[in-house]
Amino acid sequence: MVADRLAGLLGLSNVTQLHCLALVTDAFGGRGGIAQHNRDLLGALVECGAVVSVVPRYAPDRIVTPAGVRQLPARRGKLAYSLSALLWARRERVDIVFCGHLYMVTLAWLVARLNGAKLIVQMHGIEAWSRPSRLRRLAAEATDLVLCGSRYTRTCVLGWAAIAPERAVVVSYTVGDAFVPGDGSRLRASLGLEGKYVLLTVGRLDARERYKGHDRVIAALPALLAQGDDVHYLIVGEGDDRSRLEAYARDLGVTEHVRFLGAVDAKTLAETYRVADLFVMPSTGEGFGIVFLEAMASGTPALGLAVAGACDALADGELGTAVSETDDLAAAISGLLSGPKRDPRGLSSATRARFGRTEFVARVGAALKRLGQAA
Amino acid sequence: MCGINGIFSYHSAAELPKEAELVATREAMWSRGPDGSGIWWNADRRCGLGHRRLTIIDLSDAAGQPMISEDGRYVVSFNGEIYNYREIHAELAAEGARFRTASDTEILLHLYARDGAAMVHRLRGMYAFALWDDARRELFLARDPYGIKPLYTANDGRTFRFASQVKAVLAGGAVSRDQEPAGVAGFHLFGSVPEPFTLYRDIRALPAGHTQLIDVGGPHEPRPFANLAATLAEGARHPAPANELAERIRAGARESVRAHLVADVEVGLFLSAGVDSGALLGLMRDAGPRNIRAITLAFDEFRDTAEDEVPLAAQVAHHYGAEHIVRRVGQREFDDDLPAILEAMDQPSIDGINTWFVAKAAKEAGLKVAFSGLGGDELLAGYPSFDDLPRWRQRFGLFATLPGVGSLAQMLIVRLAPEFVRRQPKAPGFLQYANDWPGLYLLRRGLYLPRELTKLMEADLVREGLRRLRPLRRIAETLVPDPGSDVGRVCALESRHYLCNQLLRDADWAGMAHGIEIRVPLVDFALLRELAPAIPTLAPGSGKTALAMAPSRPVPDEIVTRPKTGFGVPTGAWMSAAATETANPAHSSKGVISRRWSQTVLRACSA
Repeated sequence: MVADRLAGLLGLSNVTQLHCLALVTDAFGGRGGIAQHNRDLLGALVECGAVVSVVPRYAPDRIVTPAGVRQLPARRGKLAYSLSALLWARRERVDIVFCGHLYMVTLAWLVARLNGAKLIVQMHGIEAWSRPSRLRRLAAEATDLVLCGSRYTRTCVLGWAAIAPERAVVVSYTVGDAFVPGDGSRLRASLGLEGKYVLLTVGRLDARERYKGHDRVIAALPALLAQGDDVHYLIVGEGDDRSRLEAYARDLGVTEHVRFLGAVDAKTLAETYRVADLFVMPSTGEGFGIVFLEAMASGTPALGLAVAGACDALADGELGTAVSETDDLAAAISGLLSGPKRDPRGLSSATRARFGRTEFVARVGAALKRLGQAA
Repeated sequence: MCGINGIFSYHSAAELPKEAELVATREAMWSRGPDGSGIWWNADRRCGLGHRRLTIIDLSDAAGQPMISEDGRYVVSFNGEIYNYREIHAELAAEGARFRTASDTEILLHLYARDGAAMVHRLRGMYAFALWDDARRELFLARDPYGIKPLYTANDGRTFRFASQVKAVLAGGAVSRDQEPAGVAGFHLFGSVPEPFTLYRDIRALPAGHTQLIDVGGPHEPRPFANLAATLAEGARHPAPANELAERIRAGARESVRAHLVADVEVGLFLSAGVDSGALLGLMRDAGPRNIRAITLAFDEFRDTAEDEVPLAAQVAHHYGAEHIVRRVGQREFDDDLPAILEAMDQPSIDGINTWFVAKAAKEAGLKVAFSGLGGDELLAGYPSFDDLPRWRQRFGLFATLPGVGSLAQMLIVRLAPEFVRRQPKAPGFLQYANDWPGLYLLRRGLYLPRELTKLMEADLVREGLRRLRPLRRIAETLVPDPGSDVGRVCALESRHYLCNQLLRDADWAGMAHGIEIRVPLVDFALLRELAPAIPTLAPGSGKTALAMAPSRPVPDEIVTRPKTGFGVPTGAWMSAAATETANPAHSSKGVISRRWSQTVLRACSA
């Protein structure tokens, strides 16, 4: 029924089912915010009536695909990946090509062009903030629909791409059902954090992504401890920047107060959010910051910078707290820790009201409607 | 004539719009509507509409805006006039619609309820409006076919905003002032900012003759509903016999003037020594009103010269028994008013000064509405461009099509005759651009040519601006479908660019700054449809002669035979003096003065 309606919108009235080919870096069996968003988006496409075939470059974890989604083997090499996508499109019908990353837009454009399919491109964040190569720009300008993770990313894209502004649509990220308020006392006890203030950041410790702001939080700890706040900082995530951050904590004399938890499984992650008194990620480079949503959906207040896509996730300060880069971060943290505690269930439901799954699927459906009208 | 604005937070994750922003935007348009104001919010406060009112039709408070339909489903904020509203009112009332006012605003609510977006095909007038459908949670915007009334929009991906003026959108404080290189480059090329661009990346004009729908998924792409080129092409397919020309113009102009006179306040006239305003005065008199007040600007610098319009205008006023108001303007007043002029100028424009002063005079006379002869030159082949473009095409077109000839000629002229290029800066571009209509038009109306922009902007911005603007392709798109004749092509080009982006914008900001509604009976889509079959056969002067004969007492011969004078001195000299201390206006051509003036204007508007 839904498929018929969408197909009608897309001018494919004789088609009973829309076939979408998704070219992504990673989705099912992938890690991190981009893989999560790809999974969410492709799932939403299925809910809107499409069948989705996914060609990933990486899939390190166990692959579980929902009904309506089939994922081809990961192809790491560019040539093998391109061949895999082109051959698939030769064999199967493709009505929509979903390009999950700007880096693949030229290939996606070619596949769409060869198959007379509509092209949707996802712009996550930092990769789309500066002008890409000429070829990628031309391919991006030829897309039918550009999905942007945040207002900031959309503004950047419209700055370098000569496309009708109405074709660039913000589809904010959504938050999974696992993130709900609950009792975190067991994990808190096992971590030995009873009676202490717990700060948390979740994100890759990538030497190329130092914008996440772990340094800033570590740098704020001496001031917080000096004023008597017994603060402990949990860092979830793994990466090649860990040793540098450990050294930095040592230099500042706060090693005892910084805990690197490494990569954790989904269940532990959900619990860790509940343990935290404050989720803090003063990042200057977030395309959106899905972890802010996960924290707030878990009932934990979130603090970030009013920079780039984080403004959207923090709802310009209406859900979370957004401070400027020049503000005193220690003072902001202290103020939130000592101030009146926000009701976790209220925060969680307010977060879901804006960013819940139902809203997300509706947004994807509305964006697809644009695609039909552009036909 | 009013100011409209609104905010719609369509994205479910968007913050609710702030009333302070809605009010700040509305109040930035105070001079557009000093007689009243209103705001309206829908139940969940995701959509808010604002309005500033200049009362012209149905002066009662009941006709205030935003206006809500009786059942509460539809709400409209409207700027402009619907000239055939009585006819639509009667039709809808006959079908059972219940009206609470005698305004043209209310028919929009009933017509949308009946026809949806197709309603625009029924409207004759100048308009820009936003109509909220509370049941469908959709906002519907529309702008008249010629773009007489402005409408600017801004969409940040979660919240949609609109207002009658760019500066009002900015006054709300939520929209970025980041520069749009296409808008800046376009201003340098044409002397006004070509729609849909503005000086700001995040603010766009809803193009003339387009509607736009904004629903919970955000704004849809604007959709055209009226196309001047298509109307001209249709006319060319069914040409009228040459002997029908005069009668068509007479009947069409009479009917348009009659329609444009609908008002509950006095309607005056801006009177020059030209045929257009003279004929309008004669046609106004024929249509009924007797004691018409006509305003003419006078400049001491022109006294006893051929450029002084006062004696002939006085003759025309006397001829039709109108009360003639002559308003003298001197350089001192220009200098005094200049800061206010630049403040009122919504987007930079190299023109509009005369309109500022004549509207000021109209306000001093206590008028709210005045006719202007704007559009007569576009419709009836009055500009030199109607001769120039086909002639240039014939002379230079063949050479210009030869590969490399244009660039080579340009290089040689620039190198060998620098003094000539200083005086005639566009001349070197002739063999480069004269091979097609868009190029010819750029040569005719261009303030600067693309190759000159690097003198004014950083090279990166020029490249990006031209890439986004695509000036030649943009001009070419206004000739689709082909209007079918040379006169039709130039008519379409002048109407869609110079008239829409410059003259009508100037009439809007300069009129509105004084709370004067400027009505333009010769800029009327119904009139264009009527005349389209005759336009291909227009010979130089024949259209204007026919217009002069349209009133029952024709316009005096002295007016018809008077050579056309351009707007320039003394205003040009004042501008030049204001633009640079060292300039010597006596030795500057109009083009060079305009170039200097454009820099002053852009600096002021970008501040």
